[in-house]
Amino acid sequence: MNISPSEAEEALVAIQAVVQKTRRYISKSGVYAFLIVWGAIWLLGFSGSQFLPGKLAGNIWIGLDILGGVLSVVVGVRLNRGVRSSTQSASGKRIAWFWLLVFLYCSAAIGVAWPADGKQLAMFIILFVMLGWMAMGLLLSFASVRWGLALTALALTGYFLLPGIYYLWMAVLGGGGMIALGLYIRSRW
Amino acid sequence: MTELNETIHQTVRLRIMAALVTLEADQEVDFSYLRNLLDVTDGNLGAHLRKLEEAGYIVVNKLFEDRKPHTYIAASLEGRKVFKDHVEALESILKVK
Repeated sequence: MNISPSEAEEALVAIQAVVQKTRRYISKSGVYAFLIVWGAIWLLGFSGSQFLPGKLAGNIWIGLDILGGVLSVVVGVRLNRGVRSSTQSASGKRIAWFWLLVFLYCSAAIGVAWPADGKQLAMFIILFVMLGWMAMGLLLSFASVRWGLALTALALTGYFLLPGIYYLWMAVLGGGGMIALGLYIRSRW
Repeated sequence: MTELNETIHQTVRLRIMAALVTLEADQEVDFSYLRNLLDVTDGNLGAHLRKLEEAGYIVVNKLFEDRKPHTYIAASLEGRKVFKDHVEALESILKVK
């Protein structure tokens, strides 16, 4: 079988396009949904903390966290639907266990340290979540580490330098940032 | 020099193989997932998959999940090797140019 160099080039370009599209489909599909879900939760929860009475804001947070947990399970189950693999299924279960342990350790740390106010409590949770994000990034997608670092830096900046508008800061830049990142990944990938 | 593979070189089959070899060795992909990924019709995909299966380049796994039939497709070891050789052959044509 003989083909011209231009036909060979066309074939290689077609192969490259499919390889890239497949990688995006398989490795990135669905991740954006986690960012949008938790970004929306941060946006609503921190806005509540900024503008509503403490007890009401706390109850809203509990409701939002339960909703986030349920939606995360739904997204996780749908993630990579259509691709089967024995090792992938095992990794998915380990990731779920990892986040459950992060939640338990964070709860234990809060119980021991007993943060004095809502801002400290929020920072405790954010630092644990971001630590989990870093671990996931280092294991699964190195590029996401920088976004986790950026969000941590944003949270610490707001906590130390802008305590008066900390919750609003986290709602707009933290929550809004995650939604924007999720939408960006969705459109780009 | 490695020879071009006529079975694989057909456009749709080339794209199918490119998608399948991108998967991990232990992964297989659902028929509808592959159809959406490659943007081809059911009939077109089915016909080309049959050719690739007959050549031994892919493995088709039909099973029932939640009482629904599902078809999963993966590149065979032979398919991965033949595709790699085909790509090398394409690249060597460009190098000669």
